[in-house]
Amino acid sequence: MAQEKQRFWLNFDSKGVTRPIIWEMSKKYDVVFNIRNSSVTEEVGIIGLEFEGERETIKAAVKWLESVGVRVEPVEINTIEG
Amino acid sequence: MATEFFSHLKCRECGRLYPKKAIHVCEFDFGPLEADYDYNLIRSQISRARIESRPQSMWRYRELLPIDGDPTVGLQVGFTPLVKARQLAQALGVKELYVKNDTVNYPTLSFKDRVVSVALSRARELGFKIVACASTGNLANSVAANAAASGLKSYVLIPADLEASKVLNSLVYGTNVIGIHGAYDQVNRLCSEIAGKYGWGFVNVNLRPYYAEGSKTMGYEIIEQLGWKIPAHTVVPMASGSLLTKICKSYQEAVRVGLVEESHFSIHGAQATGCNPIALAHKAGTDLIKPQPKPNTIAKSLAIGTPADGYYAVNVMRKTGGSAEDVSDAEIIEGIKLLAETEGIFAETAGGVTTACARKLIEAGKIPRDEPIVLCITGNGLKTAEAVQPHLPSPRLIKPSLREFDQLVAAELQGSPATV
Repeated sequence: MAQEKQRFWLNFDSKGVTRPIIWEMSKKYDVVFNIRNSSVTEEVGIIGLEFEGERETIKAAVKWLESVGVRVEPVEINTIEG
Repeated sequence: MATEFFSHLKCRECGRLYPKKAIHVCEFDFGPLEADYDYNLIRSQISRARIESRPQSMWRYRELLPIDGDPTVGLQVGFTPLVKARQLAQALGVKELYVKNDTVNYPTLSFKDRVVSVALSRARELGFKIVACASTGNLANSVAANAAASGLKSYVLIPADLEASKVLNSLVYGTNVIGIHGAYDQVNRLCSEIAGKYGWGFVNVNLRPYYAEGSKTMGYEIIEQLGWKIPAHTVVPMASGSLLTKICKSYQEAVRVGLVEESHFSIHGAQATGCNPIALAHKAGTDLIKPQPKPNTIAKSLAIGTPADGYYAVNVMRKTGGSAEDVSDAEIIEGIKLLAETEGIFAETAGGVTTACARKLIEAGKIPRDEPIVLCITGNGLKTAEAVQPHLPSPRLIKPSLREFDQLVAAELQGSPATV
């Protein structure tokens, strides 16, 4: 399977901020992650992350992140406009 | 005369420079890329007289737009009226009020024609034959119409459950409309994958740095139509927050290239309460935008729960001494009616948001009553007529009889001074 790179913004709420979610994800899924940007306060965390791996694995990792309450968006954010 | 005033793209986060290609984020920190210019060159070649001698369209500010040659798309777009709104000013209790009326922008009756004209002109320079966008309304209409008029093939991606009336306004131009089943997040993600995979000019993705600059023309026009002055207060609706930041950029650039004297200005942002992530952040004193996964407002053209330029919009408002406000659906309807009844301008729901937020900001003393105010009204009411329809009275029906009409008029005039 071909490797590919995908870029996302991850948004954490106050619960997610204190949990090592990205570390947990990397233990579960075979994806390389590279943090490019981050802004974390007590209430909210925003992290810019590049994933490298097989498309299906990245998809599964994103699904898992969402299942633990992380909001995952492509770096383009609002591709759908009014 | 030089035609290349636009020098490169620049990351808004780290300042790294990039070539003028179809790219939109910084490879290092994912910061958005923005067009940057040779302002010294522009200053040496631009003047009020030169601008005033040109056709009345947004392209009269050509030097400050990110294309290399002459524009090829949307040559008639812009230069919409700046209406001195005396009756609305009276209703709001302010001295000097103007409405920048993009409800009559050409050809698709919203300010999106400005951004799309720039994006498609640049798309042609970059050699794209196919252009695309993902949109639920105004953007789709504008891409479809302007692409049709300039001989470009276009694709419009929409959520599958979008109302038929909105789809019609894109279909009529012969564009390829693709409905996508799924929740907003899934549709959004697919659109970004499509934009990455296909070599198309995606106006609000890989052409975004060019597209966004088109918004500045609204600001230049306001300055020129005010007799080359920057208004003390400008109220701008916020979806992604891009328009607000670009209005600010236009005012700063006009000073920088010598078109206008420097003066203090405040930019205020307007949102609907049902989707107010930027206004909330500003009110909370933070610049971290909390996403709103499920927007719920009649102002659908502003319903972006994760605004790409939210952070920058908050900072513009803060630095210029502006405020953010949000209004309920009922207030939006009141805003639409107030603007229509006082100035004869029928705005879409976003216009109701701007008018209603301006009223709240004035009443709260955040916009002083004795300084010039401009409201940016961005789209035509016919586009969202269904939102207002239930709140308007039905016509009174009579038989074809003059007596019945007399009775109706007499009842109406009862209690008011005689007019006949």
